[in-house]
Amino acid sequence: MNDDKLMQAASQLKQDISPERDLWAGIAAAIETPAPRRRMPIWAQAAAVVLLVGGSSAITYMTVKDSRPATVVANPGMIFETASFSSRYTLGPGFQDARNALVAELNVELEKVSPETKADIEVNIELMHQAIFDINEALEEDPDNILLQDRLLRMYREELALLRRVSGLTRNVMLRNDI
Amino acid sequence: MAAQLTALFTDDGSDYSRTMVTAINEKRTDEAALIEQAQCQNSRAFESLYRMHIDKVYGICLRMTGNVSEAEDCAQEAFIQAWNKLDKFRGDSAFSTWLHRIAVNAVLGRMRKSKREQDRILAVTELADSGIDTGDTGEMRDLSEAVDRLPEGARNVFVLNAVYGYSHDEAGEMLGIASGTSKAQLHRAKRLLAQQLKQQGFRS
Repeated sequence: MNDDKLMQAASQLKQDISPERDLWAGIAAAIETPAPRRRMPIWAQAAAVVLLVGGSSAITYMTVKDSRPATVVANPGMIFETASFSSRYTLGPGFQDARNALVAELNVELEKVSPETKADIEVNIELMHQAIFDINEALEEDPDNILLQDRLLRMYREELALLRRVSGLTRNVMLRNDI
Repeated sequence: MAAQLTALFTDDGSDYSRTMVTAINEKRTDEAALIEQAQCQNSRAFESLYRMHIDKVYGICLRMTGNVSEAEDCAQEAFIQAWNKLDKFRGDSAFSTWLHRIAVNAVLGRMRKSKREQDRILAVTELADSGIDTGDTGEMRDLSEAVDRLPEGARNVFVLNAVYGYSHDEAGEMLGIASGTSKAQLHRAKRLLAQQLKQQGFRS
C-alpha cells in the first residue's frame, strides 16, 4: 500500500465513535460540585499579610500601651548620681531600680503636697544626697575604711526609707543582701 | 477545521451548496449561543455542547489510548476541564478544535502517568483479539488495529493528522512538538503501518 492510499484509507476511518456508556452523569457530578476556590492573587496575599501584621501590631501596641503604668518623668533636679560604693564597688541593679522607681513616684506625690512641705522634703533629700556624695569622696581616699562603708550604707537605707515614706509606699527598705 | 468546512461548501449558487452553507451557519449560531450560555454557568447548555461533540472527542481519545476505559476517563476529564476553562474560550479557533486540544492534553497527561503506556500496549494486545469497537469494518478494522499498535509518538500524529485531518502545525501544537517532528512521526507511522498491513495481506 503506497502512502497516498494509506492516507486515503486513514481518512475513511470513523472519526465519530460513541462511547459505550453515557459519560455525562460523571461530568455533571464533577461540574456541579462547587469548584475549589481559586488561589488569591499574589498581590492580594501580600496585602493580606501586611494588613494582618500591621493590624496585630497595632492591637498589641494599643493593649500594651493601655496596660502599661503611666510613665512618670522624674524631676531632673531629684535625680541623684548613680548609686555607688566608692570607686571600688557599685550598688546592685535591684537597688538602682527601686530608687529610680521611688524617685519617680516621689515626684508625683510632691505635686499633691503643699509647697512648704515639698520644699522641706526636697531640702532633706538634698542633704542626704550631699552626705552620700561626701562619704563617697572620703571612700575614694580610704576605700577600706569600714566605718565609712557602714555610714554610706545607712545613708542609702535612709534615703530609700524617706522616699518610701513620702511616696506612701509599703515597700520594704532595701536590705544589705539587695546591694 | 470549521473554516475548512465552510471553504468546502462555499455558496456557488447550487441548491446543495446553499443548503450546506445554511446548515453550517445555523449550527454555528446554535453552538455560539450554547457556548455563551455555558459561559454563564448554564450546565444544560454545556450538556448540549457535550452531546454535539462527545463522539469526536471520545474517538480521538479511543484512537490515541486504544483502551475503552482510558478513553472514557480522558473524554470525561476533557469536558470537565473545558467547563472550568470555558471563560477563557474567546472564539479565536473553532470550539471543536479548542475542545480537541483539551482532549489531547488529557490523553497525554494520562499517558505520562506511571506505566500507562505499558498498560496500553498490553490492553491493545488483549483487545486486538476481541476487537475494540471503533465502528470500522473489514479492512478499515485491520487498519484501525494496526494504528493501535503504533508507538505512541507515531500513533498520536497519525490519528490527529491522517484520521482527524489536522495539519502538522495544528497537530504539533496539540502534542507539544514541532511541525517538523510531526511530519517525521507521520512518515514513521506510514512506514510501520505499511509493514504491518503487508504482513496481514492488506490489499494495495
